[in-house]
Amino acid sequence: MTSDKPVNLAVDLGPLRLKNPVMVASGTFGYGQEYAELVPPERLGAVVVKGISLEPRSGNPPPRIWETCGGMLNSIGLQNVGLRSFLEEKLPWLRPLSVPVIVNLFGNTVEEYRELAAALDGQEGIDGLEINISCPNVKAGGMTFGSDPEMAFQVVSAVKSRTNLPVITKLTPNVTDITIIAKAVEDAGTDILSLINTVAGMAVDVQTRRPRLANVVGGLSGPAIKPIALRMVWQVVQVSKVPVIGLGGIVSVEDALEFLIVGAQAVQVGTANFVNPGITLEIIDGLEDYLRQQGLEDINEIIGTLEVPRGPVGIGE
Amino acid sequence: MLLRNAEILFNDRVSPELYHMGLLCPEIAARIQPGQFLMVRVQEGFDPLLRRPFAVHRIHHNDPPTSFEMLYRVVGRGTRLLADMQAAGSLNLLGPLGRGFQVPDKDGLVLMVAGGIGIAPLPHLAETLVSSGFRGPFVLWFGGKTAADLVCVKHFKDLGFAVRLVTEDGSEGRQGLVTGHLEQWLSQQDELPEVMYSCGPYPMQRLVAEMAARLGIPSQLSMEALMGCGVGACLSCSLRCRPPKDGQDPHYLNVCQDGPVFAGEEIVWE
Repeated sequence: MTSDKPVNLAVDLGPLRLKNPVMVASGTFGYGQEYAELVPPERLGAVVVKGISLEPRSGNPPPRIWETCGGMLNSIGLQNVGLRSFLEEKLPWLRPLSVPVIVNLFGNTVEEYRELAAALDGQEGIDGLEINISCPNVKAGGMTFGSDPEMAFQVVSAVKSRTNLPVITKLTPNVTDITIIAKAVEDAGTDILSLINTVAGMAVDVQTRRPRLANVVGGLSGPAIKPIALRMVWQVVQVSKVPVIGLGGIVSVEDALEFLIVGAQAVQVGTANFVNPGITLEIIDGLEDYLRQQGLEDINEIIGTLEVPRGPVGIGE
Repeated sequence: MLLRNAEILFNDRVSPELYHMGLLCPEIAARIQPGQFLMVRVQEGFDPLLRRPFAVHRIHHNDPPTSFEMLYRVVGRGTRLLADMQAAGSLNLLGPLGRGFQVPDKDGLVLMVAGGIGIAPLPHLAETLVSSGFRGPFVLWFGGKTAADLVCVKHFKDLGFAVRLVTEDGSEGRQGLVTGHLEQWLSQQDELPEVMYSCGPYPMQRLVAEMAARLGIPSQLSMEALMGCGVGACLSCSLRCRPPKDGQDPHYLNVCQDGPVFAGEEIVWE
């Protein structure tokens, strides 16, 4: 039986307070406007915009996308309008909305990350930064930063030194031990972690013997990667002192709950927006229903409540 | 842009690979402009994962319109699932999407060019031109691999079109590629078209655009691409286009949002 008793979905991610734990992942929701007819951004916990760089980027040549079993490979190559157009053309639309706006950013050098952070600091209408050190689809920077603890430390330190905004660092799964990178960026002062970005992958056309993506390799997203994401979030929450945002293949309220139970304080929904643009709203409603069914009043009562049976479990045990 | 379940009115096989589907969804039907498309969820689960883009083929002109049709070719898993669907079933649609065709500036010869399944979006455009009072003359050049590709020809004839058919194997109409015969035909015309509308494979579109440019005729091409979202969020369906300012490098536009219909001179051909 469910009752209509109000339940609390608000969560605190360190300095960032969200009215519910459901965010949209960078690169899957444009700048908020693209889906606004179907998803009022104000209903979301937060909007994370498409990653921006100092200068506009034209991205990789097509084909940029290939569907795989339960997943999608992409190699967009961080196409984006650049800092100036973002501030002049995209941000003004988001600014009046009562939803936290997180700006995903990336650079080719530590200095570029630093410059971007400085340029975005103090801009009205920006509530946080998400550092992308994990895109597999660019040659300079990108994943190189995210898979090397020392480089990751430098990038996050550079951003932190030039902003007062809450800083999220988005981690790549394409490493042997994600906890090493997590600890490095935590030492550099990140306020929050988000994981995972896409899993590096590829596909081949057997008729032409050519890669399906012009960039040869790309990043895999969608439900196919959810178990990997969940395992990595679980590994990271055990060693991390900062809040963690879980993402990777979430397509349903059950998926979102799995991440919260494992210990993520919020989730991001990505590829599922393409399949079902209403999915974030369904997940938010579904979380309320779940709490009522469980006789709970507060989403925080389920975060990090994974019950692990005694005995040997997990990876490397 | 709406997200709605439509009722399948019919789903008929019209040639070995082509299907014709009728859909009832008054809210979407009332909004569709010629050349726009729909993102269709071919099943409820997550494999295959992504929606598929389909052109709107025709609107049923009851007033207000309540239903419409898609014409599609079975090319892979998604379209095979679609082909298995039965009348009275339900189909989840996102749309109408994209920037469609523009009607000509003034009356005069209207030329449409279709290659294979590229015929799909043209009947809606043809009906719109006729019902908006354009008097033509209207000419359709339609090419296929074989006679089985040349569907809905009677419909164009009923609308007053002169239809010229070309097949690669010569099983119907002239033999060869539609672009070759079209070029010859154009060179013999006293009156040049006011506009050339075209939809078909990329190499055909390129030849049509180049022909139009040589003759100084505006062209409107409905382009195709692999798509993720259909609304301009994922940036997957890129088409290399002329830069906003001269002297800059070409940039990528989204077929879903900036198109699917592009002016021929916008495109930088690969």
